[in-house]
Amino acid sequence: MNIDANYVAYAFLNTAFIILISPLFMGVAKIVKAQAQGRIGPPLLQPYYNLLKLAQKERVYSNKSSAITKITPYINITIMIVASLGIPLAFAPENSGGLGNIILLLYLLAMGRFFMAAAGLDAGSTFGGMGSSREMSISSIIEPITIIVFAALAFTLNTMDMHQMFQTAAQEMSFLNPALILVSIPLFIVLIVETARVPVDNPETHLELTMIHETMLLEYAGRDLALMELSHAIKQTMLMAILINILVPWGYAREFTAPAVIIGMLLFLAKGIILATFIGLTESSMAKMRLFALPNLFIIAFFLSMLTILLEVFR
Amino acid sequence: MFSSLFLTGLFFLFFGALLPLLSVRSGRYVRTATLGFTAVAAVLLLVSSAGVFTGDVQEEIASYNVSNALSFSFALDRLSSFFIIVISVVSFCVAIYSAGYIEHGGGNAKRNILAGLMNVFIASMVLVVASTNTFSFLFFWEIMSLASFFLVMYDYEKKETRKAGIFYFIMTQLSTVFLMVGFLALYQVNGSFNIEAMGSASQLMTTAIFLSLLTGFCIKAGVIPFHKWLPYAHAASPSNISALMSGVMIKVAVYGLMRFVLYVLGPVDWWGILILVLGTISAIFGIIYALKEHDIKRLLAYSSIENIGTILIGFGLYIIFQAHNLPAIAYLGLAGSLFHVLNHGVFKSLLFMATGSIVNATDTRDLEGMGGLIKKMPYTAALFLIGSLSISALPPLNGFVSEYMLFAAFFSSNTLGDPMLTILLVLCLSVFALTSAFVATCFVKAYGIMFLGLPRTDACANAKEAKKPMILGPAILAALCILLGVFSPALLSASGYGTLPVPDLMLVGSFLLATYAIIWAALYHSYPNKTRVGATWDCGTPLSSRTQYTASGFSQPIMRMFKATYKTKEIPERTFYDKQNSLFRSGEAKVTLLKFFEEYLYMPVGKKVMSLSIRVSRMQNWNLDTYIAYAFVAVLLVLVYVGWLI
Repeated sequence: MNIDANYVAYAFLNTAFIILISPLFMGVAKIVKAQAQGRIGPPLLQPYYNLLKLAQKERVYSNKSSAITKITPYINITIMIVASLGIPLAFAPENSGGLGNIILLLYLLAMGRFFMAAAGLDAGSTFGGMGSSREMSISSIIEPITIIVFAALAFTLNTMDMHQMFQTAAQEMSFLNPALILVSIPLFIVLIVETARVPVDNPETHLELTMIHETMLLEYAGRDLALMELSHAIKQTMLMAILINILVPWGYAREFTAPAVIIGMLLFLAKGIILATFIGLTESSMAKMRLFALPNLFIIAFFLSMLTILLEVFR
Repeated sequence: MFSSLFLTGLFFLFFGALLPLLSVRSGRYVRTATLGFTAVAAVLLLVSSAGVFTGDVQEEIASYNVSNALSFSFALDRLSSFFIIVISVVSFCVAIYSAGYIEHGGGNAKRNILAGLMNVFIASMVLVVASTNTFSFLFFWEIMSLASFFLVMYDYEKKETRKAGIFYFIMTQLSTVFLMVGFLALYQVNGSFNIEAMGSASQLMTTAIFLSLLTGFCIKAGVIPFHKWLPYAHAASPSNISALMSGVMIKVAVYGLMRFVLYVLGPVDWWGILILVLGTISAIFGIIYALKEHDIKRLLAYSSIENIGTILIGFGLYIIFQAHNLPAIAYLGLAGSLFHVLNHGVFKSLLFMATGSIVNATDTRDLEGMGGLIKKMPYTAALFLIGSLSISALPPLNGFVSEYMLFAAFFSSNTLGDPMLTILLVLCLSVFALTSAFVATCFVKAYGIMFLGLPRTDACANAKEAKKPMILGPAILAALCILLGVFSPALLSASGYGTLPVPDLMLVGSFLLATYAIIWAALYHSYPNKTRVGATWDCGTPLSSRTQYTASGFSQPIMRMFKATYKTKEIPERTFYDKQNSLFRSGEAKVTLLKFFEEYLYMPVGKKVMSLSIRVSRMQNWNLDTYIAYAFVAVLLVLVYVGWLI
């Protein structure tokens, strides 16, 4: 594995791009939900203001908590940034840097989750414990679906590397491939589950019924909270990027030149806003499901992803 | 050269075993010297086996004739030297750890015997792996079983330990029976006890031998449904012995399976499918049972069952892909399986040893009685964290590398060219993914409940950090967890698997470290760095150890979703004042877990055996006439058989 100038340029651009646009998608989904409920909603750039405000505030730690609480925000953002190198948003260099592997990506995300759940238990509050328990349970039972979805992608596009997957998808313009259309439904469910949205969780509240993701962050304040929220936003953009760049890879930069990259970025931004709107609409049109009704949703996703595998195997 | 090192190592173990047994009542220095011998022996064995492994040579060690047909003979090749590397690495760290651990509980005599028997145990495991004929294999297999039985019975005063010991003893003897049947059948075919490629035999015979050996090794390895002894024995034995048993002994059974399937019987593809399915079942049920457990040592024991499953999955994949002429993918499975043998040895021994320190400090094995230990035992907490991260297969630690190789092999299953088999593999893949996600959940629970939050008992609030040797031993293994992960590309190419497509964890690790450093440095200087300490948000109810989440509470969602697997019965008993059931009077609710395997498999078989033996025992009626009649019938039968009567 050799890191060349192209890769370094890619690494900086991709990281900067994903950090910059991730809060925007959060904001878009919020506005769409507000509009659907007949409210005006916050300004589009509100997530950025929030992050800036939080960054300037002091941090409050519980007197019961330990070093785990202190290091988790840094570990989480680190993991998200390193993992995002494996997901080229608008252009992929020839050399994937060995970070594009989907199993590696999944386990990096799992590492972030491990620390977040541990931090939830750290302060000794019931809220945090409940959040960690539910988060780990839900993420465990979605895992087989995630793996089958990625196996289906690997079978269809013939690689385990995210960079090559995106390149192949962009070259073949394979958006009419029935396998890919079919697999995009479970992929969307995975996206909803992993980003803690309705019907699995509700990002707006930490009331008892939806105590999953937000409750783990309950003890965080100031800069730490900003880091946690930013990493959550980055995670959402990464999962969105997988869906976008495989299903609708129009305009994905095929060569590493300034105009192609800029067009790729702008198109990705547009597609991302559309997808975020769709996510917002899905959230508005559904009710939160009971925690123990979730396996039903997951079984649907499992069935569809298994169907994709059958399609590929018997083709 | 390697063989003389190897023999010197064995002599050290031998003297280490003899020394405390000769001077049972002597004091601490004898035990420390013994453990020193163990450590030196482990280093010697490590050097010799690493030499054989990297040099890829066949090394004859020694051969001693007992009689004409029976002999003890030993040799090292790549497979056996790899397993001896695992044994010696773990033994070395366990020896260091034991120097501190052994001083808890028991008198001088008991402690000395523990140290001595540990040497016998380690030596017998090494010799099983090095054996080149089935006679010496079985001989040392039995020594290994006996030594470990006595070690499990260390706390024989406790009823729980006695039950565990007897259970273990019976299961391990059952495993020997199956092995003996298999070995005798092999002797019938080959005409010699040597472990060598089998001569021509009917398919039925080969299958029968395979099934018999598979059963024998699976019992010893704790593969579900033969696993029941494992949680009992691991929980009852001293923690250093649990570390050896779980980290190493069950791997000796895996070695036996690999040796006989690959070198003697020659695998067929349906064997691979059988092993894969067995492995998948072990993996998922092992971790599902571990999740519900709140006895920390039993939790680790169930997790060992899961890891043995993972190892078998890799081995099964190897056989399947090899049978379909896809050697590149097959070696991914085999390398994953073998690397997981090493990794599991490293992190599971680490976890057992850290747990031993905690059990000593808090005097309980129950997770519900722990909590907040990260403040009292920071070093142990750090070690346990590394072990938990590693067992959850998180990059860039070693557990990830082996699991990755298995995932990569699974992801290539569309190249098999056999649709039904591909679908089976994909189903196994989804179960395997669920397993590895559950592992993370299980260890978040174990770590979070043990070390984080508030202490749940006084013993826990006043716990003291473990002694130095008890930190040093596991610390070496924790360092290995990181090194084996980060340097995995170099290690794989040094052992001849350099071409396998494994992500460069050195790169991932350095990216993670660099990003962390940059973010930390950037934030440290550019923003107001004010912090304040406050109370945990408690909604106005004062926070106490009783209000925080418990281990059972943590796993409750999964237990409820997998109700059918656990066979849980929720019994709410409520009485009401009125007929409409609205005014609640009193009530009690409980959740019971069915011990599925015990109630539906072990007990029925046990009862059958019991009734059969009662019937057989009726033949013994203490009546001389009857015995003379038996003797007469026996003589008659012999005469008929020999042919003198006809």
